[in-house]
Amino acid sequence: MGLGRSAAVVIGSFPIGESDLVVSFYSREHGKIRGVAKAARRARSRFGGALELFTLGELVFFDTGRSDLLRIDHFDIVRPFGGLREDLEALGQAAWIVECVTRLTADHDRHVALYALLVRSLRALETADRPVHVAVCFGVRCLEVLGHRPRLDVCGGCGRAYPFARPALGAGGVLCERCAREAGDATPISPGGVAALERLRATSWEEALASPLGRLEGELAALLEAHMSGLIGQPTRTGRFVREVRRLSPAPGGRP
Amino acid sequence: MAYYPEPVARLIEALQRLPGVGPKTAQRMTFFLLKRPVEEVRELAESLVAVKERIVYCGTCFNVTDQDPCRLCADPARDARVLCVVEEPNDLLAMERTGEFRGRYHVLLGALSPLDGIGPDDLKVRELLLRLEQGETAEVILATNPNVEGEATALYLAKLLRPLGLRVTRIARGLPVGGDLEYADQVTLSKALEGRREIG
Ligand SMILES: [Zn+2]
Ligand SMILES: [Zn+2]
Repeated sequence: MGLGRSAAVVIGSFPIGESDLVVSFYSREHGKIRGVAKAARRARSRFGGALELFTLGELVFFDTGRSDLLRIDHFDIVRPFGGLREDLEALGQAAWIVECVTRLTADHDRHVALYALLVRSLRALETADRPVHVAVCFGVRCLEVLGHRPRLDVCGGCGRAYPFARPALGAGGVLCERCAREAGDATPISPGGVAALERLRATSWEEALASPLGRLEGELAALLEAHMSGLIGQPTRTGRFVREVRRLSPAPGGRP
Repeated sequence: MAYYPEPVARLIEALQRLPGVGPKTAQRMTFFLLKRPVEEVRELAESLVAVKERIVYCGTCFNVTDQDPCRLCADPARDARVLCVVEEPNDLLAMERTGEFRGRYHVLLGALSPLDGIGPDDLKVRELLLRLEQGETAEVILATNPNVEGEATALYLAKLLRPLGLRVTRIARGLPVGGDLEYADQVTLSKALEGRREIG
C-alpha cells in the first residue's frame, strides 16, 4: 500500500470508462503490474504520448490496496523506442517479445533479469537490420531466465547422449527420433540449430546479437515460436500479425 | 449480488457487457432506469433494436448508414479524387465536424494491433484496394490515430499503396491546439518538430 515507483515498460493498455486507460507495465521492481491512468485518452491528457506501447519510463503509482489496479500518478518517458513504430517487422518482433513477457509471467512477480532482457531487446530492435535475429536472441535468453532452459546434452526421453541423428526439440529439450515420435509434439531441429541454441545462450548478449545466423535464423524463430506457444498454451497472437504483414515485404510493392 | 428479482439481474448482466461498464455502474444504470417513466425506457429499448435492424455498413465506405450506399457516398458534390481513410465511424464523424473536408471516406473498422492479433485481413483493406483500382482517386489521406496501432496501420497502407502511384499523405501529428509546450512530452514534441512548416 502507498506510493511506489519503478522503472517500467508499457506492455499494453485498454480503454475504460469515458476517458481513462488501464495500462500494463513490466516494471523493474514489481514485475507485471496494471494501473488506471485517469483521463489519459483526452487529447490534452497530462500523460501525452507517454503511455504508448513499448515506452520505457519512470513510473510513480499509488496502491490503494483495495483492488489489483494501481492508480498511475506519473509516467515520465526515459526512452520512447520510437524506432519500433517506424518499421512493421521491428514492431511485430517487439510485440512478440512483449507478448512472451506478458503471458509467461504472473502479476507482481519481480524478475530483474527478465526486465533487463526486455529493455535490452527493445533497444537492440530499434536499430536492428534483422529484427527477427533480436527476437531469437531474446527467446533463447527468456527461456533461460524463466527457468525453462531446454536440455541440449542428452535426449530428454531416454537419456541418450547428444549428438544423435535427426534430433527434435520438445518441451524439455532435445529428443532422439524414437522419443520424439512418442512425445508427439516435438519439432524437428537441424544439428546446426542445436549448436546455434547452445552458442546463443553461452555467449554474451553483444556477441549473440553480432553473430550471424544465416539460414538458421528462420528455423530458430519458428522453433522458439512453437516453444513459447507450448508454454503459453496457444499460438502467440503476434505470430499471426507478423506473418500477415510480411506478405508485403519479400517483393517490394507486392500485394496480398 | 443475491436476491435481485430475475429481470433486474438480467439487465445488470446485459449492461455489464457494454464497454467501460463494470458491475457497479450496471447496477446504478439499472436502478436509474427503474425510476424513469415507462415511455422513456421504451424509447431507449426501441432505439437499441432499431440500431441493429436498420443500420448497416455502407458497402462502399463501411460507414454506418441506414441506406446503402450511404449519404456521403451518394452525394455527387463530394470530391471523389480525395479519399480519407479512418479507423472507425466515429473518426469519420469527427472529420465531418470540421467542415473542412469535401472528399470521400473509407472506414477500416479497426487498426492493426499485433498484441491483439489484428492483421490487415481483419480490416477493410482489400475493399480499399478494390475502390482505388477503379481509378477515380488521386490522393489518399491516412487519418488513422496517432498511436502505435494507428501508425502501424498508416505505415502498412503507405507501403501497400505505393505501387498504385497515388499521392498518399498522413495527417499531421503534434501539439494539441491550446496546449502548452512546457507540458508536452518528448514524443509529442518531436512529432510536432518533424511536422513543422514554413510560415509567413
Ligand atoms: Zn530418446
Ligand atoms: Zn458510404
